[in-house]
Amino acid sequence: MGVINVDTRDRKPIYEQLIDNIKSLVLHGILKPGEQLPGVRTLAVELAINPNTIQKSYAELERQGIIYTLQGRGSFVSDNVGELSRLQREKSLAQLQLSLEAARDAGVGKNGILELIDKVWR
Amino acid sequence: MIEINNVSMSYGKIRSLENVNAVVKDGSIFGLIGSNGSGKSTMLRILCGIIRPDSGTVTYDSLPVWENELVKQDIVYLSDEQYFMPHCTINDMRKLYKTVYTSFSDETFGKLKNIFTLDCDRKINTFSKGMKKQASVMLGISARPKYLLCDETFDGLDPVVRQLVKRILAEESAEGGMTTIIASHNLREMEDICDTVGLLHKGELLFVRELDDMKSGLHKVQAIFEGEFDAGMLTPMKILGFSRRGSLVSFIARGTVDEINAQMIAKNPTFYETVPLTLEEIFICEMEEKGYDFSKLDY
Repeated sequence: MGVINVDTRDRKPIYEQLIDNIKSLVLHGILKPGEQLPGVRTLAVELAINPNTIQKSYAELERQGIIYTLQGRGSFVSDNVGELSRLQREKSLAQLQLSLEAARDAGVGKNGILELIDKVWR
Repeated sequence: MIEINNVSMSYGKIRSLENVNAVVKDGSIFGLIGSNGSGKSTMLRILCGIIRPDSGTVTYDSLPVWENELVKQDIVYLSDEQYFMPHCTINDMRKLYKTVYTSFSDETFGKLKNIFTLDCDRKINTFSKGMKKQASVMLGISARPKYLLCDETFDGLDPVVRQLVKRILAEESAEGGMTTIIASHNLREMEDICDTVGLLHKGELLFVRELDDMKSGLHKVQAIFEGEFDAGMLTPMKILGFSRRGSLVSFIARGTVDEINAQMIAKNPTFYETVPLTLEEIFICEMEEKGYDFSKLDY
């Protein structure tokens, strides 16, 4: 499971990095519903970071309903990722709106934006 | 659980520690951060019961450490300058450790021997500084202590071994196993492996915080406002440092990213961004709040 990563030079707290990282792996379908996450100890040793930090990230992901934990068996990706992707879609649309407004204010015309859309969805 | 209660210590006229209070939870990796001469090593020596503080106590699960073999049985202290018996090999030291630490594990020793690739039959006094450090980590971890006290342990280790030692610490602390206190002046070295840090400055423990809380509770904001900027515009945000360069206003605010962003949007700036602080910046900030002035250091 070499895909979960943290960057210790990043300003973002490690525990937030872990949460964002796992969420994005779930959204991209790299971690599938029902799939088991690496154990706290395993991941701590692999990344050489504090196990309590990982524990905390898992607890937060569980609180958000993205993963669930079975006592003594480990943590798994929950089936409820639809909710996560819905939230993520809303968030990215809101971000897009802000960017569009900024672009409009900078003098970018509607056609320029439409061209960009064609390029991305090509 | 380690409890440090009102510990003060002087060497003659030199005040080394002043009323230090702290609690270290089981399974925690606690970073004791401080500049040179701030009292870190003295604190560690008091913690392992080598020296007795002038006043105050250190207890492990409410048992005092001073003159208490039962408690010391569970503690390994990796001092900054390791001491090995003259002409000893690692294997000789292992025998010595086994007489002192009943929990010493040959299995763990065997595992570590493969990882560190040190010759266990070579005299330790022929080892380099870094190799001696590795030997002390190897022996210390093999003793399977409940508490590990490290004094600048990462100093003098090469990057590969440093990462290795961190992994070992992570493994041993998982699931509330070992409790570790690491004294260091190197903040960056502590960021990934510690969950809690305490800042020692001139013998006083200025604060103890969980690292993640610390990082998520302070942010640097840079913003440009339309028209004349007035510092009053930032109320009710909790502002720590503040500076201006032309129309760019930068300051440090207390609060989570979401809280700060919500407040910033309401003020309708032309531009703004919120970034977390590095641990160094947080420490400077917290110390300035306690009345320490770093501007004098500009020269």
